Amino acid sequence: MPDIVPPAPRGKDGRAPDVLRPGGWVPMRQYRDSDEVDFAIVGTGAGGGTLAARLAEAGFSVVGFDAGPWFRPLEEFASDELEQTKLYWTDNRIVAGENPIELGHNNSGKAVGGSTVHFAMVALRFRPEWFKARTKLGYGADWPVSWQEMWRYYDEVEDALKIAGPVRFPWGPPRRRYPYRPHEVNAAGLVLARGAEKLGIKWCPTPLATVSAPRDLSPPCVYRGFCVIGCSTNAKQSALVVWIPRALAAGAEIRDLAMVGRIELGPNGLVTGLYYHREGEWRFQRAKNVVVAGYAIETPRLLLNSACPQFPGGLANSNGLVGKYFMVQSNDAVWGRMDEEIRWYKGPPSLALTEHWNYTDAGKDFFGGYAYMSQGPLPIEFARTIAGARGLWGQGLRDAMSNYIHMAGLKICGEVLPREDNRVELADDTDEYGLRIARIVFGYCDNDNRLRRHAVRFMRDALAAAGARDIWESESTAHLNGSCRMGEDPASSVVNADGRSWDIPNLWVCDGSLFPTVGGVNPSLTIQALACRTADRIKAMAARGELQRPAARPVRQHTAPRMNPVA
Amino acid sequence: MGLPTSHLTTPSPQLPPAREAEASRRTAARRLNESSALLALSVLTDTSIEHDRGMFFNRAMVLPIIASALTLGTSLHGAHDPTPSAHRLRHAVAAAAAATGLIGGGFHAYNVTKREGGLSWHNLFYGAPLGAPFALILAGTMAVAAEHVRDARDGRISLFGQPAGPTLAALTAAGLAGTIAEAALLHFRGAFQDRFMYLPVTIPPIAAGLIAKAALERTPRWPRLTRLWLRLTAALGFAGAGFHVYGVSRNMGGWRNWSQNLLAGPPIPAPHSFTALALAGLAVLELLGTSRHD
Amino acid sequence: MTEQNRFSGYSTLAKRDTPSWNAQTRAVVDKRLNDPPPRCFFTEDEWALLVAICARIIPQPTQRDRNVPIASFIDQKMAENNSDGFQHAGLPGMQQEWRRGLSAIDTEARLRFGAAFVDLPAGRQDEVLHMVQQADVRAPAWADLPAQQFFKGRLLIDIVTMYYAHPQAWDEIGFGGPASPRGYVRMGFDRYDPWEAVEHA
Repeated sequence: MPDIVPPAPRGKDGRAPDVLRPGGWVPMRQYRDSDEVDFAIVGTGAGGGTLAARLAEAGFSVVGFDAGPWFRPLEEFASDELEQTKLYWTDNRIVAGENPIELGHNNSGKAVGGSTVHFAMVALRFRPEWFKARTKLGYGADWPVSWQEMWRYYDEVEDALKIAGPVRFPWGPPRRRYPYRPHEVNAAGLVLARGAEKLGIKWCPTPLATVSAPRDLSPPCVYRGFCVIGCSTNAKQSALVVWIPRALAAGAEIRDLAMVGRIELGPNGLVTGLYYHREGEWRFQRAKNVVVAGYAIETPRLLLNSACPQFPGGLANSNGLVGKYFMVQSNDAVWGRMDEEIRWYKGPPSLALTEHWNYTDAGKDFFGGYAYMSQGPLPIEFARTIAGARGLWGQGLRDAMSNYIHMAGLKICGEVLPREDNRVELADDTDEYGLRIARIVFGYCDNDNRLRRHAVRFMRDALAAAGARDIWESESTAHLNGSCRMGEDPASSVVNADGRSWDIPNLWVCDGSLFPTVGGVNPSLTIQALACRTADRIKAMAARGELQRPAARPVRQHTAPRMNPVA
Repeated sequence: MGLPTSHLTTPSPQLPPAREAEASRRTAARRLNESSALLALSVLTDTSIEHDRGMFFNRAMVLPIIASALTLGTSLHGAHDPTPSAHRLRHAVAAAAAATGLIGGGFHAYNVTKREGGLSWHNLFYGAPLGAPFALILAGTMAVAAEHVRDARDGRISLFGQPAGPTLAALTAAGLAGTIAEAALLHFRGAFQDRFMYLPVTIPPIAAGLIAKAALERTPRWPRLTRLWLRLTAALGFAGAGFHVYGVSRNMGGWRNWSQNLLAGPPIPAPHSFTALALAGLAVLELLGTSRHD
Repeated sequence: MTEQNRFSGYSTLAKRDTPSWNAQTRAVVDKRLNDPPPRCFFTEDEWALLVAICARIIPQPTQRDRNVPIASFIDQKMAENNSDGFQHAGLPGMQQEWRRGLSAIDTEARLRFGAAFVDLPAGRQDEVLHMVQQADVRAPAWADLPAQQFFKGRLLIDIVTMYYAHPQAWDEIGFGGPASPRGYVRMGFDRYDPWEAVEHA
């Protein structure tokens, strides 16, 4: 269906697209497959894109791979929901479990810049206590990093993205002012504000990764409202617009339309590189380190698909936890009709939010927290929501849709507990490359459901207090996390605090898979902060010689690698 | 006993002192009318755009447009009118404009505080601007002052019962302070993303300080310095409008997208308020040079 | 129909040459409007059935000169295998889902009302569809294609998607339509820009 898709890789011939200038190019350093680059990074989104930039800036040789195209938003992003499905990972995956999740446009991007190309730009920090959820709040697991450390990295990322946020943020410990001022809250957001004020809780304009004033070549947001299907203004500070250009400027190479199929393990227990499919053939890139940053489904999938005699259950999977403890966040919502015209299609979808239930522990019959935000779905998305939640069709659906400009909605970003049963594993089906596809098994637990019920009840009250009528509910999920979690104990985690796998010292993970818990806020800011931290840790380790291969066993010369990892 | 004033007025030894004083007064009155006209023009363009953005949801929103248009007309008339006496219609229009501004200020304050969030940074950024009605009050007041200055018979000019010079100096300083505050607020909203956005919060405050000092001292101790900063501030007003034109072009779609960017982009007529107030300040200097002190 | 009048006079297409549309949007929408894809995937009988179903799910007013050819776009999606990116365990892929679902609906119609779905009057067609939606079904084909999941997750979603991908649908709900480079200025309650739809009471 999409008509305007790059037909061939753009990151080649010594240049890469300059997405901030129509038809622009920047020079790009390139490596040969036979160069043993310092870091080969799989995925160029919130994790991989950020890490590529920071590692390149630290002087390492970096090649980033993305299965998706290198879009030029200014010229190629149309104001059209159907056309823009080109941004998503629409290759097949199997969903199963008590509550099979929706994938594709819901949470999975496929592009240079990853899911940050289609995300809703909500940029929130974790509540500090969440980093010690088990010790301090009695649920989930502790993170192997401290909130104070993360606070510094949140500062860095917020500044890198010039987050547009409120002058005073109502929750959490004192923090630096957001670099840019908040956007004007639209009527949809003011409905949230009204409801919050009536119920006596705080609210604020949502901190967003889209600029509210010019920033270099990014003009300020024009409030066109097509954010989650691609920003053609380039106001959105996605990885495509922020980290990838930094990576290129620092000498990194990015290979688009390059599907990584397998990571190769050498005889000395270290990875030697990866196989990727580009321009019709399989190739092998040598690397001293491989970082997997494909987000929480493709990362475990790749590790599992890279099984070999030394790791029959998948690379870095000696304890069987790769793919386990998978989490999403609940995305339950309430909707209602207002007397006033709301016209929620104007502006980013979530211009106002409240984190009241992230920071309040009393009055809850569940562990964890949720934020809720105002909404602004485009026509197809809203029609699907009505159809899915209310089962309306025929004239009933047409009548419901005719209230479109009067609708208001509130939707949660709700915490889901990490459970081993929820997992990403390999199905028997294979994709066009012959690689086994992912099966995602997910179900809510009692705690998750108690949270959702509490949230829906509260939001109903809030929406009614704001004056909405004929309120109804919908359910869905958002985001992907936890499937290669970090920890302090090799028995209960896949990687350590630096994202370095316990099993293989030069195999790393850097994306949402790392999260031991998911919190009640959107994950993108935390993913980027972790990536910045990982880069600093790698820099420090390199300076101390801790990245080098162990000299214990002589390195046997690797024979020519098989060129089809799937044969 | 008056202080020597020869160092304040343009030396013209041929004119007797009384004629010097009258020439000075005429210049002052003309400058005040020019100031008022420029302020009124700024208010007219700015309010037209902003109240259009507000869709004239309250019909009273046409009033400041009418008031500023009339004030613009009468002030231009006054600026070219050599008659050394007050003009009743001009005076009435100016007073009405100032009153409209005052009422508008009330509406705007209500608008800001009644919104969700009340008096908050967000509502200061995006609600009805508190500084805009203030500009209309100033436009009206400057025009009223022009009439009073024009009308003085025996060399003693007073305004609201006080000596005109110091009173106008105080008004000008307050006007500058308000305009600076408005620029500071909106440039803060724009995150001072361009270095030049610091200019309206660095240059005019010095002019405001110097004029305020003149108000307190009743005779400017540093007239050349004050005149310099006022001229700089006047020039900044023009430069600011130029920067704002550039700013509008920096938005998505540039000038081709004028139907959005003229409203969204930095307001082009706003910086002219600095020029207008600088003109008023220069008028004040004239008055302070010739007024007798009690 | 009321929605015909609610925003009468408003047309997102009329903004085609304004700053609200850019070149890529024009290209994409033009193609959708002027070049509806020919039937490629479904057989003639399947096609007729699909068209009939679409007409019940999204009844389109007859007075409009150009109705949205929903079925054409579903056919194209199947022909190109434009997956949504996930498949429920135990269910076939979307191509098979549609084929088997259409067949099962027709069987259900014959079982319950003694005629092919396309030959039933509209009221009966609606009844059949409600039965499928509520899994109140008797045709054996539903044994390995859960009726409710098919209806909710495939049939309804695909039809609704293709309808609301059309400017006519945007117009009737007062959606602002394409918006790039020009977005919006007036964001508050009861405020709209001159290029937005005006709602008639």
